[in-house]
Amino acid sequence: MNRREFIKLGAVGSAVFVANPTLMNNTLQAHDGRLFQAYEKVKLVDDNGKAIKASELEVEKEYIFHYPYVGTPNFLLNLGIPAKRKVILKSQTGQEYLWSEGVGAFGAIVAYSGICSHQLMHPNKEMSVVSYVKKEGKTMACDRGGMIICAAHLSAFDPEEGGKNYAGPANEGLASVVLEHDEKSDELYAVGILGPQKYQEYFGSFKAQLKKDFGSRRKAKKLVKIEAPVTTLTQYTKEVLKT
Amino acid sequence: MSINRRDLFKLGAVAAAATITATQVSASTETKAQETSKLKDKSKGKRVVIIGGGFGGLSAAKYIRKQDSSIEVIVLEKNSIFMACPYSNTYLGELKETTLKRLTHDLYSGAKIYGYDIIQTTVTDIDRKAKSVSTTDGTIDYDILVLSPGIAYDYKGQFPNWSDEKIRDVAQNAPAAMITGSEHLALKRMLEDMDGGNVIITKPEGKYRCPPAPFERASMIAHYMEKEDIPGKVIILNSSKGIAKGKAFKESWKEVNKGSVEHRDDCEILDVDMEKGTITYNQEVAEDKYKKITEKFAVLNLIPKNKANPVTLMAGVKTNAWGGVIMNGASFQSKTDPNIYAIGDVVGHALPPSGQTANWTATMAAQEIAAQLNGKTWKMSFPYRSANVCYSVVGADEAIMVTHDMSFDGKVIKGKGHVPKPKDGNGKYRSKGVAKLASSWFDGIMNDMFV
Repeated sequence: MNRREFIKLGAVGSAVFVANPTLMNNTLQAHDGRLFQAYEKVKLVDDNGKAIKASELEVEKEYIFHYPYVGTPNFLLNLGIPAKRKVILKSQTGQEYLWSEGVGAFGAIVAYSGICSHQLMHPNKEMSVVSYVKKEGKTMACDRGGMIICAAHLSAFDPEEGGKNYAGPANEGLASVVLEHDEKSDELYAVGILGPQKYQEYFGSFKAQLKKDFGSRRKAKKLVKIEAPVTTLTQYTKEVLKT
Repeated sequence: MSINRRDLFKLGAVAAAATITATQVSASTETKAQETSKLKDKSKGKRVVIIGGGFGGLSAAKYIRKQDSSIEVIVLEKNSIFMACPYSNTYLGELKETTLKRLTHDLYSGAKIYGYDIIQTTVTDIDRKAKSVSTTDGTIDYDILVLSPGIAYDYKGQFPNWSDEKIRDVAQNAPAAMITGSEHLALKRMLEDMDGGNVIITKPEGKYRCPPAPFERASMIAHYMEKEDIPGKVIILNSSKGIAKGKAFKESWKEVNKGSVEHRDDCEILDVDMEKGTITYNQEVAEDKYKKITEKFAVLNLIPKNKANPVTLMAGVKTNAWGGVIMNGASFQSKTDPNIYAIGDVVGHALPPSGQTANWTATMAAQEIAAQLNGKTWKMSFPYRSANVCYSVVGADEAIMVTHDMSFDGKVIKGKGHVPKPKDGNGKYRSKGVAKLASSWFDGIMNDMFV
């Protein structure tokens, strides 16, 4: 093993370690190891590389960042009210996992994978059929707003409840990005993924589009390091299709 | 049962008349010699055999394996290539994004990724006592058998006086194209060859695959004719007055196709003369008053009555008049035999036979089957809101949609439809956004099986 490889290995090891205290504090549980995975801790930053401040996120605005891979989009939302705490979710294969809480001063900030758990619809640079419908908004997918919706197959997920599947053909919730909030600096970090990950199927399904958006699928498959830029959905994609 | 096995196999073969080939016929005569050989020896582990590698069968295979990778899953499929029926009307309409490549797929990728077997063979019998399926290539044992064979055509039921030869002629030269393959390619060829005249589409009585399909096809063919500047119109001869997504279709026929789609109610098809290129039907013009009409066609898309693929009868489980398997309540298990499941078109529930339904029933059945094989119980939790969404493309870049909520009425699972007006439709049922969603919908469901 050469030194460079050793350093790489060390970096991966420390990434796991960083997330572990969260696990030990019992704020996060996964009965099955597959349902929680720690990735490198990265800071959420704006276009200029400046740290995003949790208190400055607009309520119910759809922010997008990519994590844990360069090509895997997530929604970052300030729900405006505290998300529910200690929500038990169930994967399609029956494993239970515990979603702990939102972060930020009021526990209102949450992040979920933008890749639908049903058939992997997600925001790309051309368009997005997945979006957040505001609490006061209406959607065909279900009887109320305040939901992350896939407009293609009409699955609805509740961001207040750990991304639980609320309506439509999805049989499990959205994976969530485990966030950490630094109270002193008001900065946000992504540290891992909780819930059913769909990355392997996602990378298998959208080769041509990943090439278009990220240069190549290989590039899209790279892990995000150090920081993850945050943008808004409308800036990220040309067209948002809501129903 | 008065029908014997050989008759039943013949019946299945006739139903799929359009796909009959010399090799298949000779294969059936060789059945006996090969019957004793095993397609695959059975180990001690749990095994699920699935008949049919369509939207239902391939989705079930994937999700059973995802549910419990210790379960061995084997799919039996008679075709060597997958071709999607959903979205195929846009191929007839020559929408630029719909190529044949987009509609087709090899059958092996899902098997490789999710670790199930796919065997290309034709099922000839099911022995529930021995828990064994016979095929033209040997037998295979199962712990649980899933029936996902799709539909068959019932020419004989609708036209009892037609000879086998006539049925074959009509099936090949006025193809129904509700079962994918040569029928779609043939219909496309006929449209391409046509210089002018009318295209006639018949909508059958009773339950048939994809209720909006004949109407979407009318929109797409009318679009194609306009694009290619082919004089003529599309005439739908409907066995009833009912049109799935009726208001939405009528609006688009009027405004998008500018009257080049004509819908005729209450038409009973009497006969077809392929030589003269005419179709004769009785139209009910008033209560019990009929008018006999003979109409000339340039291209005929005769969609006969549908029925469940008669493979379901081989199992000897209780079926309804259409051939759908009677289910064990809010379940995909047959009422007759706990080791026989049914999904997709052949479920005995009140669900529309569609690709999306096949996929949805497969994900449900997979959970139920894995539970059963692990000695657990699994229950559905109703209602399933918007469990089904179904799009119909009505122009170059516009589509309409219907959503279904699934509930259980104590006997069967039922879908209740709702045809919404989209946000970007300016008060119309159709919109460009919905067309984009339709396209995404199709990619999603294809990826779900193969990637």
